[in-house]
Order: sequence, then C-alpha cells, then structure tokens
Amino acid sequence: MNREGEQILRGVPISKGIGIGSPIFFSDTEKEISHILIPQEEIEKEVARYRKALELSRKDLEHLQNISRQNSSAEIIAILDTHLEIMQDPMITTGVITRILETRQNVESIFYQIIEEYKVRFNAIQDVYFKERIRDIVDVSQRILSYVRPLERIRISEMPNHSIILAHELVPSETVEANASLISAFITTAGGLTSHAAIIARAKGIPYVANVDIKLLKKVSLQSLIVDGAQGLVIVNPTRKTLKKYQDLKKEHIANYKLLTTTAHFKAETIDGYEVRIFANLENPKEIDLVHKHGAAGIGLFRSEYLFLSKRKFPSEEEQFEIYKQMVKSLKGKPLVVRVFDVGGDKKVDLHPDMADAPYFAAIGHEANPALGCRAIRFLFRYPELLEKQLRAIVKASQYGEIHVLIPMISDVSEIRQVRTMLAKVREDLQKEGYKLSRDIPVGCMIEVPSSAIMCDAIADESDFLSIGTNDLIQYILAVDRSNPHTAELYFSTHPSILRVIRMIVASAAKSRKPVILCGELAADPSMTPILVGLGIREFSVAARHIPLVKHTIRKWRVLEVCRLAEGALEYTSSQELKEYLLTEGIR
Amino acid sequence: MKVASKVKVKNALGLHTRPAAFIVKLLQPRKSMVTFTYKSETINARSIMSILMLAAKKNAQILITVDGEDAEATMAYLISAFEQEFGEK
Repeated sequence: MNREGEQILRGVPISKGIGIGSPIFFSDTEKEISHILIPQEEIEKEVARYRKALELSRKDLEHLQNISRQNSSAEIIAILDTHLEIMQDPMITTGVITRILETRQNVESIFYQIIEEYKVRFNAIQDVYFKERIRDIVDVSQRILSYVRPLERIRISEMPNHSIILAHELVPSETVEANASLISAFITTAGGLTSHAAIIARAKGIPYVANVDIKLLKKVSLQSLIVDGAQGLVIVNPTRKTLKKYQDLKKEHIANYKLLTTTAHFKAETIDGYEVRIFANLENPKEIDLVHKHGAAGIGLFRSEYLFLSKRKFPSEEEQFEIYKQMVKSLKGKPLVVRVFDVGGDKKVDLHPDMADAPYFAAIGHEANPALGCRAIRFLFRYPELLEKQLRAIVKASQYGEIHVLIPMISDVSEIRQVRTMLAKVREDLQKEGYKLSRDIPVGCMIEVPSSAIMCDAIADESDFLSIGTNDLIQYILAVDRSNPHTAELYFSTHPSILRVIRMIVASAAKSRKPVILCGELAADPSMTPILVGLGIREFSVAARHIPLVKHTIRKWRVLEVCRLAEGALEYTSSQELKEYLLTEGIR
Repeated sequence: MKVASKVKVKNALGLHTRPAAFIVKLLQPRKSMVTFTYKSETINARSIMSILMLAAKKNAQILITVDGEDAEATMAYLISAFEQEFGEK
C-alpha cells in the first residue's frame, strides 16, 4: 500500500451513512497503545502533555534519588542517575517533540515507535553488556508513559468530535456508549452484519464498515478518512475532489432525514386509513428523549441487558426500580416493554475474575455453541435470584405507569408458566411487604426460536402478547451464524421461510386474539415494511431514529396493495427471486 | 572554531552507562557542539542513548569533534576524562 495519496479499501457494509473524520485506533486490550491523529489546533496541547509527563517523571526520579541517598547502595544511586540522564537525552526530549509536530500523532504512539526503533538498534549490538542497556531505556520510557497514560483510558463515550473508530472488534457494551454526534464512523476487522455492535451502530445511525484490515491501516500515515457505510468503502486520505463529493452526499442525507422527521409525530396510517403502531427499541435509558422526538407509540423493546453490559455488573433491584420508574414516568402513559436480561451466548462481556458478577459466567464456562447455549431465559432460570430481583423492580415501578414483561428465547410453553409463577410470588411478597400493587402486568413471549414459532398457538394462548425477534429468528431458522463472515451471505432476511413463519405466528396470535409486535431490523427496511404489514403485522418496534422512515413508508401504501404484495411474495420459493421481487415491487 | 582529536577508550567496560552519563554531565555547561565518530557512525555526544549505541569497548578509537566558541577547552576536558577513565581508575 502506498504511504501517500488516496486509497480505497473495500469492506462489508454494516451500517449506512457517510462518515468523514480523523482516525482513532481503539485498543482492544489495555496494553495496546492507541494511535491518534491530533488536530492541528491541539498539537500544542499534545506537546504540553508530553512535557508535563517528562517533568513528572523527572521529579519522580529525583525524589527516588533523594530517598536512596540515605539508605541505598551507590549502585542504585548510579542507576537512577543514569535514568535521569536518559530522561534528559535530547532524543527523548526534543526528538519526541519534533516528531509529534511533524507527524501530528499522539505522544504514546510516537513514544512507542521510538522505543521500538531503539530496541531494534540495541538488538543489533553484538556486545551483551551494551545490548542489555536497552532495559534502562525501556524502564525510563515506561515511567514516562505511565504519566502520559491518561489519554489511553479514553472511553468511547468521550471521543473527540469527528472521530472514526478503528478497532479489531467492537463489543456491544462499548458501542452502546458511543455518541453519534461525536463519532463519525466505525471500521473493524471482525464483526458481521448482524452482530450486536452492528445493530446498535445502525440504531444510532453511525456508519460502519467491517472486514477491513486494521493492522494494514496502522502502517499507513493516515490524515483523514471517509467511510461509506452503504457501499462498504473506506477511503484513506481522500483527495479534495472525493471529499467534496462525500460532503455533498452527506448533506443530502441529512436534509432528507430532516424532512422525514418533520412528519414523525403523526400517526403511521396507510393511504386508506389503517393505523400501524410504531414503537421504539431502546438500549440506553438516557436516550429516552429520542423516543419522544421521533414520535414513538411507546417503547416496544427495552433491552434491559444493556444495563448490565455497559456497567459490567448487574444493577441492583433498587437501581432497576429507579430506572424503570423514571422511564415509565417520562413515557406518560405510553407502554414500556422490558425484556428481561437477555445475557449469555454472544452477549457477554469480559469480566475480570475478581468482579462481583464473574462467577455467573465462570460457572457456565466456555460453550462450544453459545447461540444454542445457556442464554436469555435459560440463564435467568439458572440464576433465579437475578430474575426475581428484576421482576420485583418491574412490579414496583408498574405503579408509575404501564410496564410489560417480555421473556427472551422462549423455546417451550412451560417457560412462560414458570415466569408467571415467579411473578405471582413476587407480587405476593411485595404485597406482604406493604406495597400497593395496581394492575396485572402483561407478560409476553419473544418468538425467536423455531420451536416457539412452531408451537406459537400454544404459547400465544398463555401469553398476553407476542413479540417476533427477527434477528435471532432468522439466524435459528436458517441455521446461519449472524456474525460469521463466511456464512453472512446465507443470512437472507428475505428468505421465503421467514415470510411463511411470520404469517404462521400472526395467524396463531390472531386466533387467541393476542397482539403481535415485530422487533428487529427487518421492520426498518423500506422494502420489507409493506410486506410485513401485508402479512398482518400492526405493531412494529424499531430503533427510534428509524421511526420516521418506517412511518413514511407505511403512508405510501394502501392495505389492499400490501396484502397483494405479501401474497405475491409468498409464491416465491428461492430467496434470491424473492429479493428481486421485493426490490422491484416493494419499494415506492 | 572546530577541533578534532582521536582518543582511546581505556576503562575496562568501555563507554558504558556510567562513562556515558559522565560525558553528558561534563558537556552540560559547555556551549560547543560535540560529536563522537566510531566505526563510521557519528553521534551527538550530549545524548546518553547515542553514546551507548556506539557500543565502544575498551581500546576503541573514538574521533571527537568539537565545534563552537569553547571548543578548545571542551576538548581538553574530554581528553582528560578519557585519560582518567571517567573517575573509575
């Protein structure tokens, strides 16, 4: 790869949109050094940060020397003396500063490069004694680095403006903290179209391209980047012309989206007046304002596990109660559907063995097949105290508004019975404790496993509502790993089997007169929305920022038309043909 | 003014950390630019790391070049330091 000039890399398109900004290499491990391009106006600050670190390290050493003078050997004093000299070596002082100014890279990155260069040079020395001197240099460098470290602990929620995050992989707990107004785009090596990080990136509207060799990019001198999330392109050091083209494109996107949001607070009605209710999915309770702003009918899916994933600790009953209470209060009568903790499987975080909640996961250990493993309701039944606390918090908060409970990954009807029994016990306990409990709390089942889809009539009978989780349902029906790049092309959200299964679920629910809400990204695809309405779905839950688009799409159709569209679609037997049909007939 | 002179490393361990630190300290109050040349490599004698990287052992021949207003005095100090084996004798 050339070191200069525009380069175009092709990756896998994950989340649409145009991102323009400067690169930030986000380290996966704490040991790794971050590589950041410093904006011209902040370069002086960066130099000052280094000078400060040098000064602190020097004071440190002088202090050590003073202590040693009283009670240490001449050897140690001499070593400290040498270290002080190394610290004041022009190659460490002006050498590093000159390089910061020249390359506009962060201190850690420069420092790391320089030390690596010395390692190479010292390694070439034959004489063992001289060769070993590198240890002193490394020692000094670590002291200095420990004082520049603070920037390394940078959190994804505190990135500078126009950051483009480059990482080997993004974990959901980090992605959920990302602020779309600061982060222009994500680029990763690993991670597929349907990983949780991908879903969140799309929900937040952060452009994302995966399957890009980050290590390769680390070797290039990066000035600026453009990420085209729709095409899956990463443009390195774009020319002025390319930059202009993408800036214009971005402006156009923003203008279009603004136009859609102006009508977001109106109902989603078909031309002939059928109302479809659009709810919002939510991960971060702080983002509840978006729900109102984009005209949601309520929260159709609160992914409560993010309370755990973002803090790496299960929230206490009291903490949960406060969160749910604030949420329902702010919803002012609109419903809040809390999906109980859907953890385990691919929704794990690396917990340090010392952390309080680590034993929950350690006891399960490594699973050869996490998607089919101890996750969601299975995990909660294994640790009923977690579920009980969560149900208690929900029941207590239900005095302040309308809360529904949603059970993830139901695969047998006995599981909802078990949850109902536990819920009844929790209510009884709370009543004994003196809480006044008003209404019953509706309990719904997530239909996302083939067995529950097949047994949907029985499950619908015993549930208050059903929720179709399309992301998982598609993965399990097609037996395609959502995050495996080698099978990603087999993951067809438009597979005919998916349409048939949705039709089946809608029919079963209708028989027991239970509402069905469809969650998942399928709903936000403008070529899919009409079909889904045609299949009988009357409630959707999508990321808040997609609501304006979904509403806009629904308003373009008549009910009769979408039913015909769905009927037509059900006649196709191959996913490719169905996809083509949808692209020609389903988009207006 | 610019002066140059060849010196021999006499101390047993060569230009290791302590002599290197000694040289850097000695040069701190001096104003001239000082370079050492050894085995076709020329380095800034105010940099302890650069001196170490020369890996100059006992009996190595170093070419000292001093350029500046106090060149002669600086050179005299340096030659004496090499002669005295940097106080290790």
